[in-house]
Order: sequence, then structure tokens, then C-alpha cells
Amino acid sequence: MMIEALIGLCLLGAGVVMFTPDRYAAKVAFGWSLLPLALSGLMLLNFDGTGNALLGGTLAFEEQFTWITLGPYDLSWHVGLDGISMPLVALSTLLTSLAILSAWTPITKRQNQFYGLVLLLEASLVGVFAALDFFLYFVFWEAVLIPMYFLVGIWGGARRKYAAIKFFVYTNIASLVLFIGFFGLVFGLGDSISSLDLPEIAQALRAGELGSLAGGLIGPELLALSAFVAMFIGFGVKVPIVPFHTWLPDAHVEAPTPISVLLAGVLLKMGTYALLRFNFTMLPEVARSLAVPIAALAVISVIYGALLALGQSDLKRVVAYSSVSSMGYVILGLVAYTSYGLGGATFQMVSHGLISGLMFACVGVIYNVTHTREIGDMAGIAERMPLTVGAFVAGAFAYAGLPLMAGFAAEFFIFVGAFQSTVIAGNGMAVMTALAMFGIVIVAGYLLWAMQRSLFGPFEFDGDYDVTRAARHDVVPLVVLIIVIIALGTFPDDTFFRMITDAVGPLVDGGPAEAAIGSGGGSS
Amino acid sequence: MAAEGGIFTFAPAIAVLPFVSFLIALSAGRYMPKKGAFAGIAATGGSLLLSLLMVAQVASGHAHHMELYTWVGGEGVPFELTFGILLDQLSTLMLVIVSTIAFLVHVFSLGYMNDEGEPGLPRYYAELGLFTASMLAFVFSDNILMAFMFFELVGLCSYLLIGFWFRRSGPPSAAKKAFLVTRFGDYFFLIGVVGIFATFGTGMFGGPGVEESFPVLAEEAMSAMAAGEAMPEAVTTFFGLSPGAWFGVLGLLVLGGVMGKSAQFPFHTWLPDAMEGPTPVSALIHAATMVAAGVYLVARMYGFYALLPTLLAIIAFVGGFTALFAATMGVVKDEIKQVLAYSTISQYGYIMLGLGGGGYVAGVFHLTTHAFFKALLFLGAGSVIIAMHHNEDMWEMGGLKDRMPVTYYAFLSGSLALAGIVPFSGFWSKDEVLYETLVHGLGGSPILLGAYLMGIVAVFFTGFYTFRMVLLTFHGDPRSDLAEDPEPVRWNVKIPLAILGTLAAVVGVINLVPVHAVVGAVPEFLHDWLFHGPETLNGAHYEELTEQFAGYSAGAIPGLGGLGTLFASAGVSLAVALAGSALALGLYRGPDPAEHTEKLGALKTVLYNNYYQDEYQVWLAQDLTEGTVAGTAKRFDDGVVDGLVNRVSDVSLVSGYFLRRVQTGIVSNYAALITLGLVVLLVAFGIMGGWFGGVFA
Repeated sequence: MMIEALIGLCLLGAGVVMFTPDRYAAKVAFGWSLLPLALSGLMLLNFDGTGNALLGGTLAFEEQFTWITLGPYDLSWHVGLDGISMPLVALSTLLTSLAILSAWTPITKRQNQFYGLVLLLEASLVGVFAALDFFLYFVFWEAVLIPMYFLVGIWGGARRKYAAIKFFVYTNIASLVLFIGFFGLVFGLGDSISSLDLPEIAQALRAGELGSLAGGLIGPELLALSAFVAMFIGFGVKVPIVPFHTWLPDAHVEAPTPISVLLAGVLLKMGTYALLRFNFTMLPEVARSLAVPIAALAVISVIYGALLALGQSDLKRVVAYSSVSSMGYVILGLVAYTSYGLGGATFQMVSHGLISGLMFACVGVIYNVTHTREIGDMAGIAERMPLTVGAFVAGAFAYAGLPLMAGFAAEFFIFVGAFQSTVIAGNGMAVMTALAMFGIVIVAGYLLWAMQRSLFGPFEFDGDYDVTRAARHDVVPLVVLIIVIIALGTFPDDTFFRMITDAVGPLVDGGPAEAAIGSGGGSS
Repeated sequence: MAAEGGIFTFAPAIAVLPFVSFLIALSAGRYMPKKGAFAGIAATGGSLLLSLLMVAQVASGHAHHMELYTWVGGEGVPFELTFGILLDQLSTLMLVIVSTIAFLVHVFSLGYMNDEGEPGLPRYYAELGLFTASMLAFVFSDNILMAFMFFELVGLCSYLLIGFWFRRSGPPSAAKKAFLVTRFGDYFFLIGVVGIFATFGTGMFGGPGVEESFPVLAEEAMSAMAAGEAMPEAVTTFFGLSPGAWFGVLGLLVLGGVMGKSAQFPFHTWLPDAMEGPTPVSALIHAATMVAAGVYLVARMYGFYALLPTLLAIIAFVGGFTALFAATMGVVKDEIKQVLAYSTISQYGYIMLGLGGGGYVAGVFHLTTHAFFKALLFLGAGSVIIAMHHNEDMWEMGGLKDRMPVTYYAFLSGSLALAGIVPFSGFWSKDEVLYETLVHGLGGSPILLGAYLMGIVAVFFTGFYTFRMVLLTFHGDPRSDLAEDPEPVRWNVKIPLAILGTLAAVVGVINLVPVHAVVGAVPEFLHDWLFHGPETLNGAHYEELTEQFAGYSAGAIPGLGGLGTLFASAGVSLAVALAGSALALGLYRGPDPAEHTEKLGALKTVLYNNYYQDEYQVWLAQDLTEGTVAGTAKRFDDGVVDGLVNRVSDVSLVSGYFLRRVQTGIVSNYAALITLGLVVLLVAFGIMGGWFGGVFA
């Protein structure tokens, strides 16, 4: 009942905070958010899952009972965690607490609603990562959109409505596409499944149970390919993969900073997590046969996203575009189908969540004080806000892949895993990896460039605001994140990487796909 | 562990101590007397003592290898990634060098930073501590991944320290440049590291108790191929290349990182700018940490490079060319630290030349002597800069000889070593570098003679710019009021100078090759030391490898024989150095020397502009990448990709409806819309899938 308790705590907190008077809402919300955080910490300590949730592993905190029976399908409440979802649940609870703390300064109106929605968001996020039944999963997936929509639309910046609508339309169309794709598979499986349980579907698909649709017009191969593409696009919007990324900078720039922290930190991972769970777990043979275009998209996302970040003059846009780049590495790691590749991709989800959260939080603190994010509007603020700038520097180097911080660990795993992958014949993945790695130069370029111009040099500021030290509660999230980032980077195995590699192991071995694909089987 | 490791058990403390001083200075530095300097001095002093103990231990017994912890391991991954310590002849020697210089730099900083009333000192000492810790950990790394990680941390710390004076506009820019240029090199290095793991499944350098190491695996693979046997199972080559070719690619990739950090052409441009940092930091960067890290890596994995003749030739040529190229730029500089900066680039070129030319011992020897005399020269320059109230222009100096004798004699000792004048340390090591390259060139690898030639020409320029610098700074009449009445420096400046001045003069005795050749009783300490390393990590093994795989063998000048060649080589390099020095003496002697640069004609402009190397690199990074490419990407993204999205959504009925609703401002309606959309979706699929079959039937 741990997962139910976790989701319940968040929902209950949302209710309580909604009815708390505005002046206490921030503190109550923060205090309350520590409960799910503590609970997820407890779950992490007691985590005893082994193997992959979809491929016959032993789950931690698993609960399953049938909910509704619709026609031939049982819809059940089925939740549980494996080594892939556990870290993401922990990430969600940590970032929610820190986002709430970082909202204390900037959020001044309708506070109880704001914090209530944030806790509602947390409940949905935990649900997405814990759900193992498609119906349940999709409910949580869509439920994330609702608080997000309001959080951007009400508390956002000047063009908040445009951004909120764009976010909504984009992601909902994406949901439609992936929904169609997934149900294509469900119908193609016909009688071989009796529920929308994800493990059942995954195992049926991997056992080659997929039949034809429309009276044989769409054969199994075509169906698998179409479903794969539809789900890839649908989830790819969330990641986002170039060219489906343009909602992201708008949403980020207009969202209040604490929401950007959650958006970049957790919401993007819904996309990569789903790609891993659906596309890469359920249809490995299709993924392998499409390895060239997928890896190419990954490389394009990395390099193009980094170049876009280089071209921005708004600090928040710089960080927003760099997410596109970092998420490209995740795709590269996934398609590699090696333990370091898949494990590194998952580790990167957590790592990028923390690092981009840190960067957005830093930009937010600077904005709280200066009321601008334009690189050209300020210079030398390091003198006035040393701690914040120190955290910014730490975050930038974490982003740039400084060793002993989480980003380096994740990216190194991905690079090693992708380099030795054989999914593309003739060591094509080694070339792709080498190309993608150039991202580590560009990322250092734009972050160092931005820091040099806005943080260092002689102090200059034209605004009417007094540039001075940030409030202590603004700095706390930064310090906490830096500590966690260093802990993950220094001890990847003892934190999450061991459980992750355990959970991705069954994917590496390749299952029935192994022999079928001519261009090369799994790795060692 | 404690019992079997003995004193080695304390090895991690060598790096941990300065790391602790980093933490102390960072957290409590502002409450401490001298703002954390004492913590740093104590820590680096402790590291120095421990390093000396390690040397004694290695000398009396054997090298040692210990596992620290497993970064990534377990059943889920094909190979482990670990942290461990390798203490052998090479690494302990380097530990002593690094900790000695770090210790002296900390002491000197009391005079340069504290006495000058700088703000931000806790940050300074924290960064200095982290810098030292990272470098020490890099030096004792037992595998290439750990080495890469601390290599990067060294890069971070130099970024922080070069940019220490962040309130000015110069230092942050220089710091950024240093990090980016070296990062560009590290990009290749990282591909190399990844490739080494993918190829060999291990990144271990070797050492006692290490079962598999990549240089040994590479050697086995090459031997197997040569003998027509199958490759060892652990080795996978890529792209269908032969082991030799693929290892060459890997070696070249790693070399990218080496050239970046060690400021070899064309990655040298960051180094002169890095003079924006505090002078003690320059001493540390140039003598013992950042720049030394690159060439140290080549020495560390010499067993790998020794297999690859092409790579050795490339290393030798890059080194020889850089030595010459940088030396020519050094002759026209006006600021004392700029001269030293170019001399650093040039001297690391010699170290590369030695390593590439088959002189493993020679390269390490020059690394050692250079560490001491270059630290000395920088600290000497720092002393002058204190005296001159932070004016660095040599044309404003002059006549400081009589006003600051300790600095002068120490600086002179370093300069004689730099110029390579007998019997100062630099003479012995530079001569050995040139000698090794020459004999291997005369032996089986004539291509090395080209690199040797560049090295020998560079000797002339080195002598010239060194004595030009000494004469302009210390001799003649004072050319400004500051030089007339310089600020006195204290013990904390003079003591490090005295120690290093002595070392720069005498440290050459560790390898008196020409003397040993005549009087066998005089030992070649360093040679013997490095030849007694662990099985696959010693000079004797490397000599066999270069001979077997690279075809290196010692030749002699026809008609002179071995001994004759040795003395001819020494004689030539000494004569050339003296000629360069004499020219400087001729031109810049006297109370008020002229600039003489007009004699260079058009060349003068080229040299002043450093061959326009900065211009094209800034153009590449800023104008092309940031301006044109990133700008185009941004316009493309805003206009085409996002434009398309907006165009589509404008005409689409659904979003047109939404957008109109937005303008009404009733946001809460959307909750209903979203929910409704979801329900419609589910129901539609439900009907399609026959979920409600039971209901409707």
C-alpha cells in the first residue's frame, strides 16, 4: 500500500492546501510535501524489486486488483516499482518539495491554489511512473496536463496563455497519436491478451503474438511499425525530440520558475520513460530496425538543441533548449540496447532532472532579484549574489558534464553503451556517438559564455531593483540539489545505477528479437 | 589491508588532505587567520611528506596498486569502472613534484595575495586546495577513466582560478577560453576513453596485481597479428581496422586531450591568456598541474604509444614544432608573464619531443626540471610584480638586480636552467631530449631528424628570449619610478624562491647522462629509477616496445661513435643556447636598451599577433559557430519549425476555437474541455474496441 499511500498523501495535501489561507499556504504546502518525500525515501531504502517491471521481474510495493471489466478487457489498478521507476518516483518527490520552496518568493497571488495544484501534479507524476495498467497509466498521463495547464496559464509570464494553449494542444494531439498507436497493438494482439495490463501486453508482443488488423490488410510487421512510429511521435513530443520541441521553450519561458523546475525536471522524463517502457521494451525488433533514423534523430536533437541554446539571449531559454540537447542523449542510450546505454539513459533522466532543476532554480533566483533574464541586461552580479552565482556555476558545470557530478556519469554510461552497440551494422553507432559527443563542447560554450557575460565582469545593472543577496529559503533548494548531484555522480552504483542496470537487464538480452534482426543482435 | 599495504594505506590521504583544506577554506576560511592559507599549507605539506614516504617505500620495495572503490560494477554491466591508486616510480615522482610546488605556491600566496589585501581569499585557498587535490588524484589514477575525471576537475579548477578576479572583464574571458580550448581537446580524449573501454573492456594502466591492462592487451593484439595468430578475445577492434590502425586512432583521440591541456599547437592559444590569473596560480598551472597533466598522461600510458610508430612521430613533430613556434613568439613580448607563458608552451613541446622521440626517461626528466625552474620563474616574476605594484611591462622595469637581490639570483638560476646553460638543470634534461631524438633519428627513424632540427633551432630562440627578459627586468637603469623604488617583499616570497632557485640549479644531478658516460661511477638516478618500475610500466619495457614495434634503435653520427655523438649533441645544443643568449646580451645590455624589434620588419607584426592564431580560433568559435551557425539555427527554428506549428494551429479549427476562448480570458473552461476531450477519446476507442459490446449487444 506504499504507492497508494504516496499518491493519497499528495492528493490529501492538495486538498488541505487548497483550503489553507493564502498567508500560510506556502509553509503548509512545503511542510506537507516533506511527507511524500520522506515516504519515497523510505521506499527507496526498502526497495526490494528485481528485474524489469514489464518482463517478469519482481516488483516492489506491487498492488493489483481488477477495477472494471470492459468487454473482453479487464482494467485493473496495478501499480508497482522496479529499478527504472523507483528513481523517477524519488526524483518527483524531491523536486516537488524543492519547487515549492523555490516558489515562496515569486508566487504572491492565489497561493493556496498554486500549491494545491503543485501537489496534485505530484500525485499524477507518481501515478505515471508507478502505473502498470494502460488505462491507469493513461489517466495519470492526462491528469498531469490539467494542473500543468493552469499553473502555466494563471501564474505564468506575459504570454502565458499562448504558451499554455500551445503546451496543451501539442501534448494532447500527441496523446491522441500515441493512443491510436497503442490501441492498434491492443487490437492486433486480439485474444492473446485479456487485459490492458502492461506486462501482459509487453510479453505478448515480445512473444510474437501480434496478428493483423483490418482483415489482414495491415499485417503484423506493418502494424508493429506503424504503432511504433505513432507512439514514438506521441511520446517524442513530450521528450521533446526535434522537430517536436517548439512547445518547450515557450512553456518554459512563460511558466513560473518553480513550474519550469518540474517541467524540465520531471515532465520531460514522462516522455523518455514512456519510450523506454512502450517502444523500446514492447517492440525491440522494430526499434532495432529503425536504429539508424532514431540514432540520427538523437544526434540531431543533441547538436541542434545545443546550437539553439547557443543562439539565445534569455537565460531561461538557454536552459530550456539545453534540455532538448540532454534528452537527445537519452534517446541515443535507449536505442543502443546495451546495459550501459539503457542504464545510462535512465540515469540521465534522473540526472538531468536534478541538473535542469538546479539551473532553472538558479535562473529563478536571479530573476526574483533582478526581474530580468536577458543576458545583456546585467553583468557582474556575482559580486552581489555570491551564493546564487556559485550555485549557477556548479549547475553549469554539472550540465557540461563535469566528472563526479551526475551528468558526467550518465553521459559517460550512454557514450560507452552506445559506442559498443551493434544495432547499426559496421559500428555505425560508434560514429553516431562520436558525433553526439560534440554536444559536450557546445554546452560548455553556451553556458560559459552566458556566465561570462551576465555573472562576471564589472557590475552593471540598469533596472530599478536593488541587486542583493537572495533570501535563504531561495538558496536552500540550490544547495540540496548540488549535494544530490554530487552524490549521484560520485556513487552512481550505490544510489541508483545498480538497480537501474538490474531492471534494464532483460532488455539487453534481447528476447525473441535477437535472432530476427540481421543487422546485429544484442550486445554482450 | 592496513597490514599488507603498510604505509601505502595512507596513499589516498595525499589527495584527500588538500581536498579537506578545500572544504575548510570554503566553509570556514573567512573566520580563520590568513583566510585558509594555513590549512592549505598544512595540507600540501602533509601531501609532500606522504609523497616522499611513498617514494621511499617504492624505492625500498615494490610499486603498489590498490583498489579504492567500484564506481560501477555488478552483474548488470559488461565491465566494471573503478577507482584505484597506482603508486609506481613514475607516479610517486610526479606526486613529489606536484606537492612540492603546491606547497611552495601556498606559502608564496601569503605574500602575493594576503599581504596585498586581496578580497575573496577563502575562495582562493579553497580553489587552490581543490586544484592540488585534483592533480594529485590524477597523478595516482590507476585507470584512464579516473584519470580523465580528475583531468577535467583540473580543468575546472584552472577555470575558477584563472577567473579569480571576476570583477574585471579580462579574467572571466580568459578563464572561459582556457576551459573551452581544453574542452575541445577533451572531446577527442573522451571519445578515446570510451573507445578504449569498448575495445579492451578495461582502462587500467597496469601495475602490480592488475590482471588486465589496456597497454598490455594492445601489445598482445599487435604481437598476435604480427605472428598471424588470432587476437586476444578481450580485444575488439572497430570499423574493420587492423589492431595497429585502430589503436592508432584511439591514441590520436587521447592525444587531443594531451595537446589541449599541454597547450600544444594548435591548442596553445588559451595559455597566454591564462596569465590573467593570479601569478602563484600561473606557477602552479604551468609547472605542476594543468599543463603538466597532458604530457604526464603520455608518459603514464607510454606502453600504449610505444606500440605505434606513427603516433610517436606525430608526438615528436607536434612537440618539436610547438617548441620552435612558441619560442619565436616569446622574443617580442613586452610583459614578463607573457614571455614566460610562451616559454611554457615551448618547453612542453620539448617534453613531447622527448616522449615521441623514444626518450621516455628524457621526457620525464625534462618534465621534472621544468616543473622546478618554471615554478621558480613564475614566482620570481610574481615577486617582481609585487615590487612593481602589479605592473608587468618589462619596459617599465630595469635595474631591479640591486634592489631585490634574492629574487634576482633565484630568477637568474631559473633563467640559466630555462636557456639550457651548463650546469643548470635545464641543460641536462633538454640535452637528453634532443640527444634521444637525434640518436633514434640516426638509427632507424630518419623522420625524427626533422623534429630534432626544429628543437635545436628553438634552443637559440629560448636563449635569446630568456636573457632578453632577464636583462630588461633586472639590468640597466630603472625605467620608471616604480622600478626606482620597488616595494620590498617578505620572507614568504623569498623562501620559496630560495628553495626553488637551489633546486633549479642542481636538480639536474638526478640524470647526468654525459657525465655517466665518461665516469661510470656517477649514476643516472632517474634512469635507474624509471627502469625499475613494475613489469609493464618501466623504461626497459618501453625501450623494448619502441624497438620492436616502432623500429627505434640508437644510431650515431658517422665517424663519431656513441660517445662522440653524445658529446656532439650536448655541445651543439649548448653552443646554440649560448649563441642565443649572447645575441640577447649584445642587443639589450647597457643602461637603456632599445627595443630592436623594428629590425624584424613585417615579421614583427606577425609575431606580435601570435601568427594570428587567436584570430582564426575566435572566428571559428564566435563568428562562425555562435554567430552564423547558432543564429541560423535559431532563425530556422523560430521561422520554419515553430512557424509551421503556428501556421497549422492557426488554421486548424480546434486550436482556432481555443485561441478565441483564450481571449475571453475564462481559463477555467479549459479544465472541462480537457476532461471532455479525454472522455471522448476513451469512449471512441471503447466503441471501436468493442469494450461496450456487452452493453450495446
